[in-house]
Amino acid sequence: MSLANPQERLTVSGRRLAGLVSLMARHRVAAVLGFLLIFPFLLPYEALAVNILIYGLYALGFNMVFGYMGVLSFGHAAFFGLGSYATGIAIVHYGVPWLPAIGIGIVAAGLGAAVIGGLAIRTRGIYFAMVTLALSQCVYYLVYQMEDLSGGENGLRGVDVYDLNIPGLELTLIDPLTKYYFVFAFVALAVWLFSRLLASPFGAVLEALRENESRARACGTDVAMSKWLAFVISGLFCGLAGALNAIHLTIVPIESLHYHTSGLAVMMALLGGMGTFFGPFVGALTFLMLEDVITLVTVHWQLFVGALFVFFILFFPRGIWGTLLHWLSR
Amino acid sequence: MGDDVKSKLGKTAQRFSRRSVLKTTAAGAAAVAAGPALFNIARAADHNIRIGFPVPLTGPYGSEAQEQARCAQIAVDQFNAAGGLNGRMAELLVRDDKLKPGEAATRTLELIEKDKVHYVCGSLSASVQLSVNAVTKARGIIYVSISQSDAINEAKDFSKYTFHEAMNPHMTAGAVGRYAFPQFGKRVAFLIADYAYGHEMVRGFKRAGEAHGIEVVAEVTHPLASKDFSTFLPQIMAARPDVLCLCNFGYDQMNSLKQATGFGMKQQMQILAPALLYNQRRAGGAAAYEGVIGGANYHWTLESSVPSAKAFNDAYRAENDGAPPSDYGAYGYAGVGALLDGVKKAGTTDTDAVITALEALKYDKYKGTQYYRKCDHQSVQSVFIVKSKSESEMANEYDVFDIVHTDPASEDILRSCAELGHEA
Repeated sequence: MSLANPQERLTVSGRRLAGLVSLMARHRVAAVLGFLLIFPFLLPYEALAVNILIYGLYALGFNMVFGYMGVLSFGHAAFFGLGSYATGIAIVHYGVPWLPAIGIGIVAAGLGAAVIGGLAIRTRGIYFAMVTLALSQCVYYLVYQMEDLSGGENGLRGVDVYDLNIPGLELTLIDPLTKYYFVFAFVALAVWLFSRLLASPFGAVLEALRENESRARACGTDVAMSKWLAFVISGLFCGLAGALNAIHLTIVPIESLHYHTSGLAVMMALLGGMGTFFGPFVGALTFLMLEDVITLVTVHWQLFVGALFVFFILFFPRGIWGTLLHWLSR
Repeated sequence: MGDDVKSKLGKTAQRFSRRSVLKTTAAGAAAVAAGPALFNIARAADHNIRIGFPVPLTGPYGSEAQEQARCAQIAVDQFNAAGGLNGRMAELLVRDDKLKPGEAATRTLELIEKDKVHYVCGSLSASVQLSVNAVTKARGIIYVSISQSDAINEAKDFSKYTFHEAMNPHMTAGAVGRYAFPQFGKRVAFLIADYAYGHEMVRGFKRAGEAHGIEVVAEVTHPLASKDFSTFLPQIMAARPDVLCLCNFGYDQMNSLKQATGFGMKQQMQILAPALLYNQRRAGGAAAYEGVIGGANYHWTLESSVPSAKAFNDAYRAENDGAPPSDYGAYGYAGVGALLDGVKKAGTTDTDAVITALEALKYDKYKGTQYYRKCDHQSVQSVFIVKSKSESEMANEYDVFDIVHTDPASEDILRSCAELGHEA
């Protein structure tokens, strides 16, 4: 999505569609949020829209490490799950109000990311993926065994946040549309923050690391520190997604820590377009919509989703959104 | 010149891509717009009584889930054939929960928010039913659970909207223990799948064993979904128990039994399996299961003594080429059947009226009289102790179990209301 090349800017200008793209690129946060604002009315039901928001945010957080920094982590379920469990446990066992509980979830995910990142960041490539996978499975078993707090196999129940208790507003999350906009408010904030981070010098460092790590080091970047920091920030975003998921489902299933959930982030980011701003949301939308529609028709839904995934990897390696952007700005 | 050609080419490419993009966008928009409309058409008249039925159609219990859906559909068809609720027909909306609690919660939300179901029935795992229950109870929708769990009875998860049609691990393990311990000996070993259901069964056995003074000689836990039990079984053999209780389920049960048979453990000890499943036994073969004693909510041979079992079997056979229904399938039939009985008795679909009707209901769908206990809405029902037959004893391929004993329906085999945390 970079329009930094002046030549490219020249060829792009003057064409309306491309103009639209560059407009969207300049106001990417507004574009994303504008779309998400009307989103629930386009879908068959709100719970699916909320899922797409949450998993979109999760994939967005993951994309910071994967798409922008170019490092494949296979352990992001740990941060999603830690966010979920910390928020859930704070609400269920300690009676913490929902807003601080979400904060606790984010912090817990950040701490998890700091530890896992600290241990894994010096490895690279497949080793990094394996180390993060192994460490996230450790978190899985740890939480699984803490049955008194986490509910173990049965999952954590009773995250019953319905009345938001906002002075002057009578909002209840039982109403599906209210719940959507409740989650939307957090996602909007996160998307804005994410965009600011990418636009900052730190964002430039991330892309520099992806493009050429040795050169970035030669330019004076503290590579290990930057990588670790990106990993932690990515964990914070995933933690927020997890916290919102706990409130959305009113339960925390143990599967949210499972490595399948890690794989989901990879799939969504790849499907939507790694390293694009809106890609993770497109990926989440495509994946969850397909799953939802196809399961109504056949029990062999995995076959179709899998085939489609292979198709996209083979013919559209930029992902759906990435390919679309590429066509429009060509 | 060269640049000119290039730019022309570029233009064609641009136009082409713009058009194709527009096309794609239009197609996409049409698909998205058509999506909800399509579902709205699929949704039948608002007049119907809609029952959501989330079960794991995909995953390891897929065949059981499809069986449950078939049986539930029979209950719905029978209700409709009898005229429904003053002409209002019932309708079953089956959804795939993929055996994942998160997916189940989303599917239940969909059923409630989009399909506007009146009731929910279903699930095939403890964690999934608890998540469905969390969603339904917050929204005041009646939920009839049809798989085993102890937790769902407890005050923490219970609500007046929660009904539990299936047996629970406490009552199955208890019934099997009471039958077996006096007969086979007091030295007891446990092989436990390391999750809630496994430990709940152990608790049930130990409680039943207290009265008979059992001595626990080995407690071996194995991770869920183990393939190889050769490290666990020798520990049990070394402890020389009289009785081995297999506190696991599904493929774990099948694999551990096959290997225990191979190790010759059946000659040393009696093997008990609290949840002895019809489908699993048929998949595992007679040799592995021969002589194993377990608990079941149903076996089709019950038809020789129970008229409602005969009626249920006949209805099922008529639609399934003469094959009899399975035990878990029967849960689907009874869960939806009892619910619709309650609706009929209440004379309305109003939730509170149906709850009152269900609490007062005595129903006999397939195994003799059952009713929902007032405090925790657990279905009080008889438990059958079955013994797996050897190949030579089987009259036909479906004749896999011998019902050796029946624990009659009684609240005595359940944990007391006070113990579960319910008032009075």
